[in-house]
Amino acid sequence: MEKVLEIDKVTKIYKNQRGIKDISLDIYKGDVFGFLGPNGAGKTSAMKIITGLMKPDKGDVRIFGYSVQNEYEKAMAKVGAIVETAESYPYLTAYENLKLAARYYKIDAKSRIDEVLELTGISKYKNEKAEKFSLGMKQRLGIAAALLSEPDLVILDEPLNGLDVNGMVDMRNIIKKLAEEKQTTFFISSHLIHDIELTCNRVGIIYDGKLLKVDSMDDVHRDFSSLENYFLSEVNTNA
Amino acid sequence: MHSFKATYINELDKMYRKKKVVVLVLLTLLAIAIGQLTVSGVRFQFGIRASGSAQFPVLVLSVLINTLLPLFTVLMGIDVFSGEFSNNTMKISLLRPVSRLNLFTAKVAAIGSFILASLILVMVFSTLTGIIFNSSERTFMFIGKIFIAYVASSLPILVFTLLIIVLSNIFKSGTSVFFLSILLFLGLKVLSIIYPQFSNLLILPSFNWYNLFLAQNIDIIKILNKFFIMAGYGMILFTVGYYLFDKKDV
Repeated sequence: MEKVLEIDKVTKIYKNQRGIKDISLDIYKGDVFGFLGPNGAGKTSAMKIITGLMKPDKGDVRIFGYSVQNEYEKAMAKVGAIVETAESYPYLTAYENLKLAARYYKIDAKSRIDEVLELTGISKYKNEKAEKFSLGMKQRLGIAAALLSEPDLVILDEPLNGLDVNGMVDMRNIIKKLAEEKQTTFFISSHLIHDIELTCNRVGIIYDGKLLKVDSMDDVHRDFSSLENYFLSEVNTNA
Repeated sequence: MHSFKATYINELDKMYRKKKVVVLVLLTLLAIAIGQLTVSGVRFQFGIRASGSAQFPVLVLSVLINTLLPLFTVLMGIDVFSGEFSNNTMKISLLRPVSRLNLFTAKVAAIGSFILASLILVMVFSTLTGIIFNSSERTFMFIGKIFIAYVASSLPILVFTLLIIVLSNIFKSGTSVFFLSILLFLGLKVLSIIYPQFSNLLILPSFNWYNLFLAQNIDIIKILNKFFIMAGYGMILFTVGYYLFDKKDV
């Protein structure tokens, strides 16, 4: 199977001695990988290192075979990402925000922007400034920006933050549809066990900065009654 | 190159949509109008010719280059770096396929373009005002020199902005950088007055280097000397700024 993302012995320790320690992980094409862990476990730190927002103390990350530290443009060419919070320029409209992002790719900007606005359900707000958006709408705009370039790998840090129930269901369906129809690979971090269980086909448990275990969702369901039980069992055994 | 171009256009786009640019244009026009009213007032009241059509754009430049233009470029520098870091919007560009070197260079290039565009705007309006209100045949002969003086003025402002960019990458708060920039501006001004023998080595006195291009006999050696000092400062500050930008965890 084709490796899309390789995390190789990545360590990052902050001044308060928290951080992530010696994380290694491979993500394959077509995976919808759930990176599950409680608040403060190191999910966002890992996401930031994967996307080059932060430099690791040790280790390397490769996306499509390119090192994030040394060949950033090539590594990120087919990646869409939201890390920590979905940001947008408040003084620009939803359409203008996406237009800025579109300049980085060789795509038919106008039609693709309309497509992702429709997909994320905010096309009727396309000419409204982002400063007037609710948290959920900002999140939808962030997801639209992440999907704009039709990326092969989508990295989403807590993608359901701020979304209402309908929004959560919509996002889950978008992820599943893209994974099935376009073989898009997803790397999703969340502390919401239920959502990871419903969305992902592989799961990794991160706890206290360490990656405890990686399994397919089928194996989890074969050995445990739910992902929650699997999570608690792994945390109690390894932590 | 594609990522540099995309970032450069995006930065210009963002600058254009911010109200600061409109405010700068309005303030510049106001400053030119006030300048012209003063010149006309002096002429009618005392019968003294304060400025001819050829000198008026130079008079405007000498005032704006020490006041409004550095102020607005400092604000722009803070906005583009500190502002984006503190508003978390720097992440939007950093998550696109653009290296930090290309991102940094494109942002600096956009600020440089903003400085040049501001100067050209001031030049056009002040020259037109000069021609309309204080017309003389010398204006057209002098216009080439005025153009060179205005374009040359962009270099020291850009170097000063690079200094602000370095500060913007050290301090997180845009307000701290702004007040530090003002202190630095005043400090460098005072230093150049106390130690005029070292003024060649300071950035701020170089704000007036456009005068070298307006002299009857142009002193090439002096121009080259100033140019290389400013270029040296520019390269050092660019390198330090990029180093800090590259090392920054977002």
